[in-house]
Amino acid sequence: MWARVVEIMLACWLAVSPLVFRQAEATATLWAIDLAAAALIAVFALASFWPPTRHAHLAIIAVSGALIAAGMMSPYPPSPTDQNHILVGLLLLLIAVVPSDASRPPASWESFDEPS
Amino acid sequence: MPANARSSRSLDVPVARFGYNPSAWRQRIPICILAMVAFFIAVYMALYQWRFIPDAWDPVFGDQTRAVLDSDVSHRMQRWFRIPDAALGAFAYLGDAVLGLAGSTRRWQYRPWMVILFGIDVIPLGIVSAVLVVLQGTVVGSWCFLCLVTAVISLILVYWAYDEVWVSLELLWRVWQKTHSVATVWRTFWGRPSRAAAEAARELIEGTA
Repeated sequence: MWARVVEIMLACWLAVSPLVFRQAEATATLWAIDLAAAALIAVFALASFWPPTRHAHLAIIAVSGALIAAGMMSPYPPSPTDQNHILVGLLLLLIAVVPSDASRPPASWESFDEPS
Repeated sequence: MPANARSSRSLDVPVARFGYNPSAWRQRIPICILAMVAFFIAVYMALYQWRFIPDAWDPVFGDQTRAVLDSDVSHRMQRWFRIPDAALGAFAYLGDAVLGLAGSTRRWQYRPWMVILFGIDVIPLGIVSAVLVVLQGTVVGSWCFLCLVTAVISLILVYWAYDEVWVSLELLWRVWQKTHSVATVWRTFWGRPSRAAAEAARELIEGTA
């Protein structure tokens, strides 16, 4: 479950990052984007703790893709906010693929009756 | 304990070809530690490229490291990726560490996709980054000591990581030989159990054909 904890920590960072990367322009938009993305990430990560929605963390891949795309489509030179979106998106992409119970064999293998 | 019983449920089981378990923590932890060393070196260079620090340390080539980090090639890469190339390298090394930590000590059988993703991050990307670093002397005309250190680390990581990737690929190959079914190989890749995958894994552990 460490991967889900890291995702929640990254969601917290994303939520406060408008304070860190203050920009004169589009402050309200920036807050809305970052808070919405952070809320989605936190919800998907927390939902992964509940067995029926244990694969919800995979939805974070879509959020991270959106963050990366938003940063990549920014004009050059990219602002610190855009670079933050790209880096957080990349980190989330990396973490979101890690299964919640990664240190145990998959449940299907645990219940599999291996041939003798 | 009979080999059959040991191979069927134990997680830390040696593979006959290597005489050890390539997914064991004692194999993976050193990879993660070395990858984190390279990660921190890459972060240091990225901090210079972001101008959070005024200079980049180089005890061998002096100002040449700054020339490399501020080169046209580096700026062109930043134009493509929107972040400094050293930050991209840091992300790749962090990926090595994270994917090295994830998974059980028998992930070569239970999650081949994870081992192959780890292998893609370590092996081709490691070789490409090492080649790029060596080429920088000819293209940019300057050498960067810390880049050379990370290139050496990349090659060590390739050497340390190949055994686990090899076993996972051999597992998939044996499943293919047994079934000639793309669907079964695909399911094995994603960690779904099957009689063929279990038999192939047992053969790899026991060293039978």
